[in-house]
Amino acid sequence: MTLLTDDIRALVGRRKVYTAPEEFGAASGRYFGLAIGDHNPLYSDPEYARAQGLSGVTAPPTLICETNQYANLPLTPDGDAGHNWGIEIAGTRKVRGGNSYTFHRRIRPEDVITATWEIADATEKTTRSGSEMLIITSRATYTDQHGEVLAENEETIIFVSLEPGASGAGA
Amino acid sequence: MTYEAGQELPPLERRIGLADMIAYAGATWDWYRLHYDPEFVARQKLPAPVVDGQVFGALLVEQIQDWLGPRCFVHKLDFSFKALVFAEETVRCEGTVTEVGDDYLVLEQRVVVVGADGGVDRVAAGPAHARVLLGTPDGPGATSGTHSGTHSASGEAGAK
Repeated sequence: MTLLTDDIRALVGRRKVYTAPEEFGAASGRYFGLAIGDHNPLYSDPEYARAQGLSGVTAPPTLICETNQYANLPLTPDGDAGHNWGIEIAGTRKVRGGNSYTFHRRIRPEDVITATWEIADATEKTTRSGSEMLIITSRATYTDQHGEVLAENEETIIFVSLEPGASGAGA
Repeated sequence: MTYEAGQELPPLERRIGLADMIAYAGATWDWYRLHYDPEFVARQKLPAPVVDGQVFGALLVEQIQDWLGPRCFVHKLDFSFKALVFAEETVRCEGTVTEVGDDYLVLEQRVVVVGADGGVDRVAAGPAHARVLLGTPDGPGATSGTHSGTHSASGEAGAK
């Protein structure tokens, strides 16, 4: 039985758009730097940042792709408050495949982020051990309030069948 | 500073404790219980809270910027997840220059879990690839700190 059902195929092209209710803020970048142990003064010292050619403090580049700040979604019982397609497939284990980021310019505190998520692809493969797996590729494009593209994020989520050749799928 | 293919990046090592993971959850507005809740983790039959893998991207960028300084710009970065990392483990970012251009470098990196002997216990994320622009501190899409409202993203010719 295939994991790549018509229901799954029909998801390709689906989009969700989130616009943050406020500016990104300088504290968000400084807090993230503190949390990951990156004490680069670009995230906390405006004079230092300006001396390097920036307009002021910025955030660690990957933060825009890692944060749920813009989504403004309610917290689920499991603690999730981020973008989610809600795809659940019985008899599979969901794992992250990877990310591919493109950054166009550094984030500024005054940026108001809009994230546009789209399901770009759904493909099926077989693991070395013979299990079927479904690979869902999503693409997020992050823009500011002027429509300038700040970053892009392509990520893959993989659904691996728990039993070789005995999978059932549904969106 | 001159660069050449095969040159190794200074490694970046970081022990990731539960408090760090809770701080990360707050900083990313991602409070998924897998990353800090022992009861939730036990129900998943996992030995300890799981480090949010996306932090590895942040650490790979930190490794690059710590080495190349504030006037570099990480234009592209990709990585694949290979193994879970658990609370209180230490990871190390490793990297090598694979291509040198007039105004860019291409790097191959990975994130490994450091074993008790200081060696590689397992690969957490890799391979990772980065394309880094030199002398472009605000990125190719920047408009000198002002917003024209008409600028569009500028793709890099020949980008990876």
